[in-house]
Amino acid sequence: MLDFLKRIFNDNSSRKQANDRLRVVLTHDRTGASTQLMETLKEEILQVISRHVEIEGKPDVRIIREGRRSALDINIPLKGR
Amino acid sequence: MGKNKEKGKVIVVTSGKGGVGKTTTVANISSALARMGHKIVVMDLDIGLKKLDLILGLENRIIYDIVQVIEGECTLKQAMVKDKRFPHLYMLPAAQTRNKDDIKPEQVKVICEQLRPEFDYIIIDCPAGIEQGFRNAIAAADSAIVVTNPEVSAVRDADRIIGMLESAEFKDIKLVVNRLQASMVKSGDMLSIDDLLEHLCIDLLGIVPEDRKVLISTNKGEPIVLNGNSAAGTAFNNIARRMNGEELDFPTFEDDSFWSKLRNLGRNLFPNK
Repeated sequence: MLDFLKRIFNDNSSRKQANDRLRVVLTHDRTGASTQLMETLKEEILQVISRHVEIEGKPDVRIIREGRRSALDINIPLKGR
Repeated sequence: MGKNKEKGKVIVVTSGKGGVGKTTTVANISSALARMGHKIVVMDLDIGLKKLDLILGLENRIIYDIVQVIEGECTLKQAMVKDKRFPHLYMLPAAQTRNKDDIKPEQVKVICEQLRPEFDYIIIDCPAGIEQGFRNAIAAADSAIVVTNPEVSAVRDADRIIGMLESAEFKDIKLVVNRLQASMVKSGDMLSIDDLLEHLCIDLLGIVPEDRKVLISTNKGEPIVLNGNSAAGTAFNNIARRMNGEELDFPTFEDDSFWSKLRNLGRNLFPNK
């Protein structure tokens, strides 16, 4: 039964895969940012931040889309005192 | 050309990727607008790879082409081919033995300025690609129609083209989705209209369903809009009516089956699944 429900609710359709792949590729196309660049960006941003404050947990640096515009979304959890 | 007469609109039909149905779209919306009584000229800027004459069935009537006009071998009037089926439709043919670099954006602008007072719409068939041919085709245009298919590579190219049109200060960019198969969208195997609009973020002008009758009409050189009971013909007619200011609802391909409702319910209950 659980398997049956999983099959219905789990959307693994090729349409969903197409959407997921397009989201990634269009974001990169529009900003000209490759996966390599994003890694470098993340690394250097973290270096700068950690020079001043202590970082805790998993920081996240990624490009988000709002309409046809893109923004850099930086989420860095800081260690509390 | 009286002073009060509104000048014709120049519209470029483009896509980035080839084979998505640009020329078919140009031929059909032009025919539909001409049938409504508008004065239309279609300009084929796919120099070296012309198709519009074949799709319109005008290939045997060509005497001169646009490159000859630009190079002064004939007048603009001499090069224009009149469509016998639609008294208000004219075609300015591309040259087949030349290439895209043989004309310049400024020369296309000059031709369009000459045509504007005489026609209601000047519709430009843009070649595939983002190079010189694309720059020629958008140079004189006031607005753009981007044609795409519900397929990842066509959407990616459409996105690139929309970006380039925005950089060129285009404010009016509309989307035509060609070759949609509602049954495949329903079964989860094709991008939906909403998916395409989410990715491309421009206004929708029309949805043309996959239709075998399109190939049949292409074989004959007759625009599908002449076939009143074809799904694609109706869709192209509706696009022309929307361009003309009519507000027509888009057909909904909403999946309202029991299973899809259950699946949506599941997605809402367990969003991360």
